[in-house]
Amino acid sequence: MGVGEAANAILDLEGVHKHYQTDRVDVHALRGVDLRIATGDYLSIMGPSGSGKTTMLEILGLLSPASAGTVRFQGRPTSGLDVTALAHIRSQEIGFVFQAFNLLPRLSAVENVELPLVYQRSGGGPGGRRSRRDRKERAIEALRRVGLESRAGHLPGEMSGGERQRVAVARALVNDPAVILADEPTGNLDSKTGEEVLSLFDALHEQGGTLVVVTHDERVGARAARTVSVRDGVIERDD
Amino acid sequence: MDSARQALRLLRAYGLRSVLTLFGLVWGTASVVFLVGWGESLEEVVDRGFEKAGRDLGQLSAGTIGEEFTPSTDRRQLLISWQDVAAIRRQARLARAVGAETRRYLPVTAGSLSFHREVRGVEPEGLRIRAIPVAQGRTIRPGDVGERRPVAVLGFEVAEDLYGARPAVGRRLRIDGRFFEVVGRLERMGAQFGQDGEPIDDQIWIPITTHFASWPTPGTEPNAVSTVLYRLSRSSAVDATEDELRRLLAERLGVDPKDEEAIVGWSASRTLAQIPLGELRGILALLSVTTLAISGIGVLNLMLDTVRQRRREIGLRLAVGARPLDVVVQFLIETATIVALGGLLGIAIALALILAFAAVDLPEIIPVPRVSVPAIALALGVMSAVGLIAGGIPALRAARVDPASTLRSDG
Repeated sequence: MGVGEAANAILDLEGVHKHYQTDRVDVHALRGVDLRIATGDYLSIMGPSGSGKTTMLEILGLLSPASAGTVRFQGRPTSGLDVTALAHIRSQEIGFVFQAFNLLPRLSAVENVELPLVYQRSGGGPGGRRSRRDRKERAIEALRRVGLESRAGHLPGEMSGGERQRVAVARALVNDPAVILADEPTGNLDSKTGEEVLSLFDALHEQGGTLVVVTHDERVGARAARTVSVRDGVIERDD
Repeated sequence: MDSARQALRLLRAYGLRSVLTLFGLVWGTASVVFLVGWGESLEEVVDRGFEKAGRDLGQLSAGTIGEEFTPSTDRRQLLISWQDVAAIRRQARLARAVGAETRRYLPVTAGSLSFHREVRGVEPEGLRIRAIPVAQGRTIRPGDVGERRPVAVLGFEVAEDLYGARPAVGRRLRIDGRFFEVVGRLERMGAQFGQDGEPIDDQIWIPITTHFASWPTPGTEPNAVSTVLYRLSRSSAVDATEDELRRLLAERLGVDPKDEEAIVGWSASRTLAQIPLGELRGILALLSVTTLAISGIGVLNLMLDTVRQRRREIGLRLAVGARPLDVVVQFLIETATIVALGGLLGIAIALALILAFAAVDLPEIIPVPRVSVPAIALALGVMSAVGLIAGGIPALRAARVDPASTLRSDG
């Protein structure tokens, strides 16, 4: 691998293994994964249930450490970082779209979108925090990008499934992340609203965004520029 | 601010349980402020009571010879005569003053009113020891004693009962059928501690010689006094002063000075020292602080439950960049908001209750709780500790939520 290539990579997994201990049963979820995600990639990770694709997303999102192997974020190994440093990278550089929307039901759409900004420490305000006004402006802007500016004050319960998932996408966009990681973004949506979210991803990709989508939805796989198939904890195909 | 708002949402969401939790906090803090404030004023009431009775007042009276003293077979009531008191007065070096009083419960009639009151024979030496101020007229004078005059000085309540607001001086009343002229009325004394017999407000004073002549003690000693009063001098210790008087009196009565059944001693300063006021206040403080601490268990439970129910939210916050410390702070603020809400309400209620107490006309003997700064500080301090523990444990638990769980919430 060349130096230029490595520098260009946002996320780089090398020989990654992951073990889980559940109910005294040792699960070997990943068994030596090599994966490089470059800026501008639109990648789908596909595979049946239990193949290890969600585990892979955990590792890519720096939510969980690898049991063995190397995980580099923007060229730097992450193995020596503590929870605070990892939280810092997530708040600055990673946007998450979760399967079941995962919006806080008592917060309005704009408050939900603001959430990642609340924890940012480089906003220039006291203690590096962003001002309330700055957060609000950015959150409204993110909602505008997903076409929900007019719904900013609504609670998630007052919105349709598609709208909720677009709010979730706006939340993933709001910190202007280097990479957006999505977990089954169309899983809870009918085909029409699922299409809305996928169009949004297409647009983000066209604007130069980097997307990694874990799914078993063939339509998503077809839209992505690159598809990685996972089976039994190893990458079966990458094209 | 967001966490504080979240705390209010949480209280709304928990309904009755929140009400009970808040009630515990309100009750806890209110009891600290109220009971500790009450303890403080209790001390003051006792103190004031002794001040009025005379902090440096002491008394001796005669009883019967104790069993381990000779002659123990002699079971007769010992009597102290007025002459004994006069002799002791001459010989005593340590006491500032020595006086005598004798008393009897007698029927008192004025106009159509008639009731029984304690009638005391007093002498100027004894009155100087008691130092009770006169409101109207005069007190008993040496001439009254010398000439056995039928004059009376009324305690505040006695005058009130007999004449109401009208002046008492110059009126005539009958005590056990004998006519007396009222020459004075005493100030209201209110609650006193350690006095013998009725409160001074309910007493009638007449010259001791008139008392002896009208109601002589049956038997060999018609001039027997009920009580020997003495006042400590500023320089002498209470024990040494009592010992000296006891020795002089024992000599005259022919008993052992160590026999505390033959000569019964009482002193205000020693009694005051025996009242466990500090302990009492401590117990009040401990009880109320415990109540408040127990209310913390309710808060702890509520917060543990909310952390359990909000694992998904916590995981989400951690996933999008919250540091564990941010989560700890969030739950501490939420807890602090709840504790502050209940606690400050409790303090406010206690203060309102104290003011209400102060407005009601209670007997002087009942301490009116006071607004005590240390009590409020104690309540705030315990509240903070409760908040820190009841919030800290759930907060640490929240910070340990695995952010990766957000990806696995649906299995």
